Amino acid sequence: MRTDILAAPPPAPIDNTWAAPPIAVGIFAVLAVAALALAFSARGGIRNQADYLLAGRRIGVGQNALAHVAGGIMYSTVIIIVGHVALNGFDAILLLTAFVMSTVLAVLIYAGPMRNLNAYTIGDLFVIRARERPARMASAVLTLVIFGMFNVIAVGSMGFVASRMFTTSPTVDVPVVALTVGIVGVIAIAAVYVGGMPGVTRVLVLKVSLMMAFVAVLTIAILARYKLNIFDLLNDAEANAAPNPRGELLTTGRLFGEGATVNSDQDPWVHLSKAFAIAVGAIGMPFLFMRFFMARSGRAARQTAGWAAIITIGFWACMVVIGLGAVAILGGDAIGKVAAHRDITLPKITDELGGSWATGALGAIALLSVGAIFAVLLLNAVTSVTRDLRAARGRPDDRPAELKDMRRNVLIIGIASLVGGMVMMTQLTHIFIPTSIDLGAACVLPAVVYSLFWRRYNTSGLMWTVYGGLAVTLFMVVFSNGVSGDPTALFPDADFKFVDFEPGLLGAPLGFLFGWIGTVTSRERNDAAFREMRVRSLTGATVPARQEPEQAATPSLNGLDRAGRTLSETH
Amino acid sequence: MGSGGVVDTGDSTTAGDQYSAVYDSAQFQALQRRSNTFIVWASVLFYGWWFTGIVLAAFAPGVFRQGVGGPLNVGILFLVLSFVLVGVVCLAYMRFASKRLDPVSDRIRADLEGGLR
Repeated sequence: MRTDILAAPPPAPIDNTWAAPPIAVGIFAVLAVAALALAFSARGGIRNQADYLLAGRRIGVGQNALAHVAGGIMYSTVIIIVGHVALNGFDAILLLTAFVMSTVLAVLIYAGPMRNLNAYTIGDLFVIRARERPARMASAVLTLVIFGMFNVIAVGSMGFVASRMFTTSPTVDVPVVALTVGIVGVIAIAAVYVGGMPGVTRVLVLKVSLMMAFVAVLTIAILARYKLNIFDLLNDAEANAAPNPRGELLTTGRLFGEGATVNSDQDPWVHLSKAFAIAVGAIGMPFLFMRFFMARSGRAARQTAGWAAIITIGFWACMVVIGLGAVAILGGDAIGKVAAHRDITLPKITDELGGSWATGALGAIALLSVGAIFAVLLLNAVTSVTRDLRAARGRPDDRPAELKDMRRNVLIIGIASLVGGMVMMTQLTHIFIPTSIDLGAACVLPAVVYSLFWRRYNTSGLMWTVYGGLAVTLFMVVFSNGVSGDPTALFPDADFKFVDFEPGLLGAPLGFLFGWIGTVTSRERNDAAFREMRVRSLTGATVPARQEPEQAATPSLNGLDRAGRTLSETH
Repeated sequence: MGSGGVVDTGDSTTAGDQYSAVYDSAQFQALQRRSNTFIVWASVLFYGWWFTGIVLAAFAPGVFRQGVGGPLNVGILFLVLSFVLVGVVCLAYMRFASKRLDPVSDRIRADLEGGLR
């Protein structure tokens, strides 16, 4: 019972008793039309770069908070996590609290200050503290590397939803999956092309409203079965869970205990490091924190993050109830019993409680959800290309990109990433999510914290943080069990791994260390820029008073001497 | 403190000089200290609490396995408290910032930007 379940490649075919393809297709068709209508409805308000990429920084707190929560709702954080909780109980819930923890970093550090700087990307923070070109390149590299990996996951997630909810086939039904991914991908690209960020924000609000309503109803249905007696639910969950030698369902041990990781002697560090990396790295995803830049002010950004955190708590508390409810009601043998089958638990409990209309609705909402993630990632990549790469190539800031250029980029990047993502679907690429989060912990967090708070930080420090963190993370990932030495690895037949723990555990402190070394070994220092950054990030003030860099022409006053650097330092 | 202007923002000074002057003002220094103090303490206490929890779960599972009645144990209480604490920290910071930070930063911003109009 112990190792056989985790070490059985490939996962056994499933007996799909829940999918209701006609209903799911019907509901999704309605949602797709609604999403496109929302995107088109936003078209008229788009006049310039800020409108297209940041919805004109005019999104209200409530809508923005909902959209921010929507950015975190994807296949892994909803459908897989329910199965994870049902299978691994306490330790899985602990991992889930890590996601909730990461929202606090958003509230305290990421949201307000960067919005006050009128940022589009972290590059706008970096350029105040470092020379423009390397700063812009660092931002582009981080944003696009994370985009590249997450995009593969987003496209793959569409495939998973199609495979579990839009066909009853026990194995992967390739035509259905390919067709679904193709259609959803094209709809998402069209929505981004037409509606830009304002349109996609409305789609996100639609998505999160439907998903929250669905999850709330499911939670209430489960609690109603137990007549609101949560103790009975917990007792049943504990009693009905499949036995596991590492621990009871509601005690710690199933993921921390010895033997939880295949072919490894690094437990309990493996699970500990996963929780750590998520807690410090998850908010470092550029496609997540860019949401704060769309708030009306730094204060609104802070409130966006705060209310999003509170919604997040409620949403993922429901996930816990659903996960434990699933094992309590269905029993440990009926839920997904291996890691690769964790995603059948939510559909099964939905089917048990609500029948085929409920599973059809879940399938349609889930497909809208992952499609919206693909759209958000695409906009994030286009923002970085438009802002960071343009500036890195020396295009002046006072001549912003034109709408048609950005829309052309949407088509190019969108089609390339859809095709690339579909090609990668044949590979076991689950490693890309944790790796992105590791980069959030090892590169983004140290670079942002140093940029915002350390007077001495400079170009060299930024380079060391970003590329040093990137290098150690990728090094550890190459030698991790996501790449080799594990039946679910990218190369399951090879074995050159020695890192089972999540690289972010070492990457985050190393990122800070590299940043410090790089900084103190360079003579460059710039107190004036630090002072400017502090004043601007805390008050939102800009001198001369102006609303947006691209709306009022930027006077030469804000050129080189603004940062106070001498010419020799700049070139 | 007051609306009398924290700094002389004459038209002849450069932007960098103006930022620098504001940065040195007592009003801004107080604002910065207040903000940083909250961020540091909230981060240390809050993450300290949670890191202690995951280290206990990993290396001293006995602590979390102790029952406290019914299906509950110390670990479950830790999880529930963690959820609650996130809400408390977020609400506390939003309240603190809108009462103690925003009025000061608004004044500084008005002085700085108003000086050029």
